[in-house]
Amino acid sequence: MGLFGQILVNGILLGGLYGLMALGMGLVWGVLNIVNLAHGALIMLGGYAVYFLYTGAGIDPFAALPLAMAALFVFGYLLQRFVLNLIVRSALLNTLLITFGLDVVLVYLAQLSFSADFRTINPPYAGNNTEIGPVTVPHAQLFAFLVALLLAGLLYAFLSRTKTGRAIRATSQNLTAARLYGVNPRNIYCLTFGIGAALAGAAGGLYGVVSQITPYMGVTLTAKSFVIAILGGLDKPLGVIVGGLVLGIAEAMTALYLDPTFTDIISFGLLVVILVARPAQLVGRA
Amino acid sequence: MIKAAIATVAVVVLLAAVPFIAHETVVQYAINALLLATLAQGWNIVGGYAGYPSFGNSVFYGLGTYGTAIAMAQFHHSFETGLAWAAVFGVACALIFGIPILRLRGPYFAIATLGLSAVMGAIAANVPIAGKNIGLILPLFRGDRMFYELSLALLLFATGIVLWVSKSRFGAGLIAIREDEDAAQVMGINTTAYKVAALALAALVSGLAGGIHAYWITFIDPASAFDGSLNVRMVIMTLFGGPGTVLGPVIGALILSGVSEVLASQVSSVASLFYGFVIVLAVIFMPRGLIDMLAGVRFHGLRYFGNNMRRYRL
Repeated sequence: MGLFGQILVNGILLGGLYGLMALGMGLVWGVLNIVNLAHGALIMLGGYAVYFLYTGAGIDPFAALPLAMAALFVFGYLLQRFVLNLIVRSALLNTLLITFGLDVVLVYLAQLSFSADFRTINPPYAGNNTEIGPVTVPHAQLFAFLVALLLAGLLYAFLSRTKTGRAIRATSQNLTAARLYGVNPRNIYCLTFGIGAALAGAAGGLYGVVSQITPYMGVTLTAKSFVIAILGGLDKPLGVIVGGLVLGIAEAMTALYLDPTFTDIISFGLLVVILVARPAQLVGRA
Repeated sequence: MIKAAIATVAVVVLLAAVPFIAHETVVQYAINALLLATLAQGWNIVGGYAGYPSFGNSVFYGLGTYGTAIAMAQFHHSFETGLAWAAVFGVACALIFGIPILRLRGPYFAIATLGLSAVMGAIAANVPIAGKNIGLILPLFRGDRMFYELSLALLLFATGIVLWVSKSRFGAGLIAIREDEDAAQVMGINTTAYKVAALALAALVSGLAGGIHAYWITFIDPASAFDGSLNVRMVIMTLFGGPGTVLGPVIGALILSGVSEVLASQVSSVASLFYGFVIVLAVIFMPRGLIDMLAGVRFHGLRYFGNNMRRYRL
């Protein structure tokens, strides 16, 4: 029972992070109708940003997160402004292909600049933990989980309470009507993609604290983010976090009861099953 | 018509003569280029004609390499039998996974294929008969000429299939699916059967390409057989040459293989970076490929690029 509880806690802590990864992807997909296959690459960039801020400038990884998010926001904004806005109205195939190409560019630029080495962000408190009954709660993982929840809450508040947030939701619901009410879609699209990239950056930084960073870490994370975004619903930040928890727990249980090498197989098996079982109903709109 | 036939025969004879004239290294590069062109043609049937963006065709290639390797290394069959196994492995996978996955559309399909290509290596690494993580060693056979001619024959076969697709009722059905799947269904096209058949054809040629590659290299392991970067290359080669055309993928593959070999001789990852940039630029400036671009530039001049850029801008 103690082991089960431990695995459950591990799954939940990892799942919160998965949820954060999926938030940015779901936001961009819901508003811009772009399935961003470069999302994992943005997560990877966030990981490296926090890693270098920590090892280079000695900034605590959690303090470095806002800096990494700001950098990724600017990057995402410019990417949308000068590249993706050029094709945003074309067929879905083209947006898939261009983000696939961007993914390749970012991954190999990272490999050339940072080498293919595995890296871990190791703050001095990385080994600390608290025992609660039979369950050990590692502090770094717990902080990462709480930050993920905090960011999801902030996104929810931003989308529902602020004028810009409401403009973003209006654009996702009806572009023409939003335009008639004075929303400038070009600006909204850039902002949305920037926010998506910033969230990916935060997720990457946190992932670097609890796991490893490599230039190639993104592909599986892109696919996982996609599954979670569908599970949770594109325009429901809190639902996405729940979707992340489901996947995190499923993976942790697989590692315990089957074999750790099966975790990716199970999460992609789950992916195919979820996709085949009528995605339209899960997403709530086609 | 006769002129075109004569030109085709001349080009084929010229290509077939390459290993008897060119240097060994060139022939080895050429074998790779021909196999990549075959993969691009396979992708063209699914991605170009049916409009389903598969990022998992490398799985068929990988299963093809394993089909040949298992037949030859574990059961000591001949290479011919090995190729048959490669074809069977590829097509079987297309049928088994194609039927559920092809019910998905657009991004759902794309991500499912991406997921498939990400896990196939992990699955192969857990199967004892596939040599687990260590891989399989095939009997050694030195004969670059034979492999070259075989690869060329396979590319001609794949191009023949695409030519047939482009002229047949089947191909028209695939194009109808690409343009509007619901409408195609209403018109009485059995869309599921058409899509699965398209994927099976792609799997057939990709699996055979994998089989040839396995015996040529004589060693395979999960990482090299299910190399995800193959997906990048086949997609970009098709896209660059012209998706949904008969010769576009071949031209795209031969040009881009040449350029990337030159780049890879400096730093290997620069070639991959180059592919990424080509995809991004091609989608923005020449979304219908090189063949369309050449015609368009002759007609509109440089405005062709501007027109493409403006078409989908916000």
